[in-house]
Amino acid sequence: MEQLINEIKLKLIDALNLDGMTPEDIDDNAPLFGDEGLGLDSIDVLELIVLLERNYGIRLGNPQEGKQVFQSIAVMADYVNANRTK
Amino acid sequence: MLTIKKFATIPSGSDLTALYRAEVGDYPKFFKMDTACKLGFLLAERLAEEPRFTPREDRAVLMFSTCGSLCNDRHYEASVREFPSPSLFVYTLPNIITGEIAIRNKYEGETSAYVLERFEPETFVALVEQAFQDAVTESAVCGWVDVRADDDFTAFAFLVERGGTGMELNKETIYGTVNQ
Repeated sequence: MEQLINEIKLKLIDALNLDGMTPEDIDDNAPLFGDEGLGLDSIDVLELIVLLERNYGIRLGNPQEGKQVFQSIAVMADYVNANRTK
Repeated sequence: MLTIKKFATIPSGSDLTALYRAEVGDYPKFFKMDTACKLGFLLAERLAEEPRFTPREDRAVLMFSTCGSLCNDRHYEASVREFPSPSLFVYTLPNIITGEIAIRNKYEGETSAYVLERFEPETFVALVEQAFQDAVTESAVCGWVDVRADDDFTAFAFLVERGGTGMELNKETIYGTVNQ
């Protein structure tokens, strides 16, 4: 799981063009959205949806599902582990 | 009379991530920003005063450039060939630099972004003075952030205030401060 978490962090940094950020900058359990965490916003959700589909074959049809899945890197990794098709 | 209270500059080619880590470090949204916004953000941090993050309507933010968001526009254009990146698209407006500074610092006064043909202190001073014509503005962060490429830019900013004891804001002091 640790390897998957690191992989997701790297893909997230690349997808969101977080130039200069490293995986160590991202707390596994910190919220991805809002001022308390990584500072992502609704615009970034689209990038995360594409990231899941491209890399893990996961299609998120329901926006509410996205809200749950993108709580934190740790939650994302659990979801990917349970639902990936590639 | 308007005076210069503080001045900040960032040399072209500086490692902006290293500056952020050394001088700020607590605002992860920095990593999302394009180069122009990173520069504006870092300049505004250097000009900031205590107490921080208290909402204030009397402070304006005015930013100037010749390039606008052209550097990031090119990054966005490159992304369009594969997947148009929303996270790059949001930085394809030159005025987002003023928004990033205002949001971070809770400056709730006027925000303006000007794209000029060249750097002219006369125009710079005239537009800053114009911002002080209302009954609210008492100070302003005024910057020239011109990003030709991610590692090739001109970036400096002034904290200007009404009254004060600093040098008077005029074209000579602008020339002198920028070239010192």
